[in-house]
Amino acid sequence: MSKVKTKIPWVEKYRPKSIKEMALPTARMRGQRVKLTEELTNFIESFFEERRKVNKKNKQIREFNRTVIDKERKDEFKIPNEKAAVLLEGPPGIGKTSIVYALANDFNMEVIETNASDTRTKATIEKRLKETTKTRGIMDYIAQSKEKLILIDEIDGIYGVQDRGAIPTVIELIQNTQFPIIMCSNEYKTNLQPIYNKIRRYEVHPLPKNEVIKIAKNILKKENITNLKEEDLELIVDKNNGDLRGIINDIQGITQGNIEGDHKELILSLHRDNLEEIFSLIRDLFQVSSLREARNLTNKSDVDYNFLYKWINENLLTFIKSNRELTDAFESLSIADEIFGRIRTTQYWGLLPYFFDLFAGGVALSRRETPVSKGFQRVVFPRYTSGTYFSLTNVEKEFVEKLKRKYEISQIDFIQDFLPFLKILCGASRKQLKNVSDWLDLDPKEKKILK
Amino acid sequence: MEEEIPIWRIKYHPKNLDQICGRKKVKETLKHIIQQQNFPHMLFVGVKGIGKTLITQLFSKEFLKKNYDANFKLVYANVPLSQEERKKARSEAYVSTSKIGSVAGRRITTPAFIQARVKPFVQLKVLGGAPFKILIIKNFEALGQNQQGFRRLMEIYGRNCRMILITTKISSIINPIVSRCQIVLISPAKYNDFKELITQIATQESLEISDGAIEVLYKISEGKISRAIDLLQLSSISGKVIDMEELYEYSQKFRNELIRSLLMVAFKGDFPKVRELARKILSNYKYDIHEFFKIMIDELNKLPLSKFVRSKLMNFIADSDFRALDGRDNDIQVSALLSKICLFSEYM
Repeated sequence: MSKVKTKIPWVEKYRPKSIKEMALPTARMRGQRVKLTEELTNFIESFFEERRKVNKKNKQIREFNRTVIDKERKDEFKIPNEKAAVLLEGPPGIGKTSIVYALANDFNMEVIETNASDTRTKATIEKRLKETTKTRGIMDYIAQSKEKLILIDEIDGIYGVQDRGAIPTVIELIQNTQFPIIMCSNEYKTNLQPIYNKIRRYEVHPLPKNEVIKIAKNILKKENITNLKEEDLELIVDKNNGDLRGIINDIQGITQGNIEGDHKELILSLHRDNLEEIFSLIRDLFQVSSLREARNLTNKSDVDYNFLYKWINENLLTFIKSNRELTDAFESLSIADEIFGRIRTTQYWGLLPYFFDLFAGGVALSRRETPVSKGFQRVVFPRYTSGTYFSLTNVEKEFVEKLKRKYEISQIDFIQDFLPFLKILCGASRKQLKNVSDWLDLDPKEKKILK
Repeated sequence: MEEEIPIWRIKYHPKNLDQICGRKKVKETLKHIIQQQNFPHMLFVGVKGIGKTLITQLFSKEFLKKNYDANFKLVYANVPLSQEERKKARSEAYVSTSKIGSVAGRRITTPAFIQARVKPFVQLKVLGGAPFKILIIKNFEALGQNQQGFRRLMEIYGRNCRMILITTKISSIINPIVSRCQIVLISPAKYNDFKELITQIATQESLEISDGAIEVLYKISEGKISRAIDLLQLSSISGKVIDMEELYEYSQKFRNELIRSLLMVAFKGDFPKVRELARKILSNYKYDIHEFFKIMIDELNKLPLSKFVRSKLMNFIADSDFRALDGRDNDIQVSALLSKICLFSEYM
């Protein structure tokens, strides 16, 4: 055991102080591999350079504006959006926030952070960030205080009624900022599209397994811990799937728990996994026998209901077998879907309780005759996502273009009428496939459509 | 030497008006128009897939002769606008503030379709010695309320460009448009003409086909000649003698037949299987959900069912179609419908 017992969680204790001591995750921008450290350092340096230039020009403009009448005033320059902000996107716990803090440490900057725990309405964001971004206080000039770095963490959490109006405010913030902005997000969200259009977006990938194990061993060495077996460590790493924060938390939890011997069961019982939560929620949902229980279940869980009812749609068949009950279940589910659609279009969220009761309660209560099965039921992912618009993949588009040079046909007719025929024709014999692909000059990729 | 075309549908594609199968009266009137070198806006009406577009295309080719490439355009009304087209339409909809008039600096509310696909072509001057340009708009009924935008358009630019509108349903075209056009009805090819064409192809490809087989082919292709040629080619793979049963078998694999077989499987009441099949069809053929339901109703009418069962099923489909209008997840609506049919099949 280490001599000094600190009460800080290891995640904070071993958070890298400088960007140099970090194990850097690989990152991609628009599909191309980039070095994240260099890009971010460049970003911050170029931001301050740009700001200096812009402020210098603006000073002149401001002086000019003071001397003339309202009409002839010139607009002040602004820092271009692309140079003002970047977005880091990747799964949780791979070091996005750590990079930002390490970077700020290296540049001797102060980090101003908002995250999903703050409600982010227009007013609160303005109160918290806008004033710091637009102007610099008197103290800054006197005390030569630190530069600031704005971190908008978990930006994909801007969501729903509470955060209404937040996205336009963030965009305004990017346009008027006096400090560099870095945003973090876990996944692509369509409602963030206006932000994506304006700035550079880096996809950050999880660390490779051997790198993660190296870091974990390093920490174990510093903490003088020897009772964790190698295979247990690997189990933890596998279970967390690249989530470094999760791994460090798990190690701390297990090794400080003073449990001798076999850790395996303990490790397996740890579930931070969101997926696991959905699995158990769905399993529980089909066990309940009253509306109140179903309601309790959905209230307690923090699973996104956007997806939950799709999960139920996919897994209904495993829990309910008879046609009568299935029909009832789908009836409630389809009404729930309709209500949800109306909520989204009219923004009348008062309908939400019906939606919950229908997709959870209605579905769960439709099981009347089928007995609750005692055995383990396999819960599967919603595999099927139906698109609302007619759209082709790039390969298909090119195929149609090639065909159009020889034969006039529309995209819709091609997919629904001509392609089925071509598939049967080319499936019938190899010679036909060769003839067709030679005649149309097809790539191997395009050939795949025909199979 | 000309290279061999492996797809018969394209190989026997008519190159001029004369080669089109049957429909002598229509061809005569069109040829008369070509001699006159003038025609009003036209509206072609006929069942799906019988060659309306082909006839109009060949007609305008012969009408414009050497000026064809510069003065002709074919537009599909049912293909959604791409993102670039949408963007372009939006940016062009603003009238610059430097222009004089009441609309300066404002947004004109022309439908994006017209702004992006029709106006750029219609506004350009006629090139070469042609009397006017020709614009063909296919599936005109798919425009819905946007048809209103064509009323003035057809009058203002009518001198510069004549439009040929093609539709399957004249009832869904608004009256002002119908009154501005000359209506041309296209019927499917007659059996005798069809037989002539098929025997001609058969002799060229050295196939043996009996009169009975041709009759079967005529029935299952429902007047769609390209479909008939497709079927002919498919059944020619296995041998030079065309077999009736093979023709039937292949015709089952086309889309409407797929949805019919989906209904048949649903009547057996095996829900998991039906759902799997429905998902396969929807993802392979990229149906619009409403079109999927529509085809289902069409196919339902062809099946031999009692009045009560038919009306009940019709009710189910209509209900699901209505819910899909507001709903977010099409799969749920389709599954709900299929589960209802499965349950109902127990009482049939």
